[in-house]
Amino acid sequence: MLDDVRFDHILDPTGLSRRPAPRSSAARRLPDLANARVGLLNNTKQNAAPLLAELGRLLARDYGAVVSIQRTKHTIAFPVDEPLLKEIAAVSDVVIVGVGDCGSCSASSVADGIAFEREGLPAAVICSDAFEVTARAMAEVHGAPGFEFLTTPHPVAVLGPDQVDERAAELLPAVLARLTETETETETAAANVAEPVAETAS
Amino acid sequence: MNGRAATDTTLSQSDIEYIYEQGWTDGLPVVPPTRERTDELLAATSRPADEVIGRLDHLKREVTVELAAINSVMAGCRPEYFPVVLACWDALMLERATVGGGWQSTSGPAPLIVVNGPIRQRLGFNSTGGVFGPGFRANATVARAIGLIVRNALGIVPHVFEQATQGIPGRWAMCIGENEEESPWEPLSVDGGVPAGADAVSTTLLRTSEYVDNRHTADPEKLLTDFADTISRTGSWIFRNAAAGVVFCPEHAQLLAEAGMTKEDVRSWLVARCGRPTADLIRVGKALTEKGARGDHGEDPAAAEGFEPLFAENSPKHLPIMVAGARNAGISMVVRLFGIWSGISARIDPPMSPDGAVQFRE
Repeated sequence: MLDDVRFDHILDPTGLSRRPAPRSSAARRLPDLANARVGLLNNTKQNAAPLLAELGRLLARDYGAVVSIQRTKHTIAFPVDEPLLKEIAAVSDVVIVGVGDCGSCSASSVADGIAFEREGLPAAVICSDAFEVTARAMAEVHGAPGFEFLTTPHPVAVLGPDQVDERAAELLPAVLARLTETETETETAAANVAEPVAETAS
Repeated sequence: MNGRAATDTTLSQSDIEYIYEQGWTDGLPVVPPTRERTDELLAATSRPADEVIGRLDHLKREVTVELAAINSVMAGCRPEYFPVVLACWDALMLERATVGGGWQSTSGPAPLIVVNGPIRQRLGFNSTGGVFGPGFRANATVARAIGLIVRNALGIVPHVFEQATQGIPGRWAMCIGENEEESPWEPLSVDGGVPAGADAVSTTLLRTSEYVDNRHTADPEKLLTDFADTISRTGSWIFRNAAAGVVFCPEHAQLLAEAGMTKEDVRSWLVARCGRPTADLIRVGKALTEKGARGDHGEDPAAAEGFEPLFAENSPKHLPIMVAGARNAGISMVVRLFGIWSGISARIDPPMSPDGAVQFRE
């Protein structure tokens, strides 16, 4: 590593004096999802809405949760806007966000999750595994470098309806763990918590 | 400069290595951006160094005139190029994609930058032979400066926030002068609202470019049919409509003009004919749904009727036309637009004199 002091005549082209200090992004988890109100925020990517809907259905069927609201983001590339955030937060105890399946929307889905956590709602963010690096970089930009999100194998957009349901079933344990106290909150938990056993996409 | 001699090649090399280590280069060596050199660029514009000229709030980044200057130094720009970089940046900020998620897109787009006006000769912008290629400092460094600003000031670095699946060949290297001298038509900047003869930059994001080599016919309709075929291929067509431009070589442009066609005539001809039968689009899994998206839902091509036009509108925003290259062969370029062109060209500020006064006005 070259010594920085010797190079103080070289100007910084990034404009970054320093990164924002990390601040807590973790909301308190629920003991379980019985009667919990689940908000779903889909980002308009193909198959995002049916995947989230199926997850909601499974959480209701198996764990007694209730899907309270399902909304679509207004702009896929940007984080959720304040009115939509408040609308969902007002009627939800937990949220599921996804599917981060493109260059800008994966990053912005992570920003959505962080925003919901800071609003006090446990959030499960689902990204395709092809976008893990950009999603993690976004968490750092938003001051939550250890923020956990769930990954599912790429691609998602080309799956048929049955395959979407399979993906939802595979993700279900990780979503449950992310939203409830069954998860252990540690810095190292930044690793993927959902590595589906079976590849459903060819 | 810490008392170091400018000829100390060991130290120059270590500066370059230091900048590599910081992750600030595009892979090629850069000119180390010192205070002195950056100030020389800042002196070439009347705009204040702290003026914010672009921002991406979701990435918590912004671009100032000073950051643009630092990155332009790194790209190898001479001070007098800096007003061109600024005008180009202003024009880019009028593009819908650049203030959205475009720079992060898996499509890996990059701007096509077109320079008009006498500044081409004054600063040495190539507008003739090999116009898309290397060899000309003004063309190469202005395009590179934009790439470095996106990388460093906006923080969009490959494999992190830049998620291009493959990216476009020629990324951050497509800056052309329009060959106004051999064009039979008005410059592109006139379509962008700047009078002919004024220095201006026009730019839009591309997804790729593809040549049309036709040295075979003198018939304008046959020639344009060749262009329509290239423009209408299905691979680049992903939404209801698509957009494409043509960079005509002088020979093709002159052939069309001698047949009596204006630029608007050429555009109208292509807009009316570019497109595909619905069945063709179904065969490649790109059937149009009611919502305007394309996809494969098991539609039957044999049952499909109708023809789908490629262009949504007959306008320079959807089909920009310009002329560049040498007059030595009938080889032109179809360019694929990432979205549509803003339709607005940016004037390049006149150069400053040493006392800070503007030297001349149009």
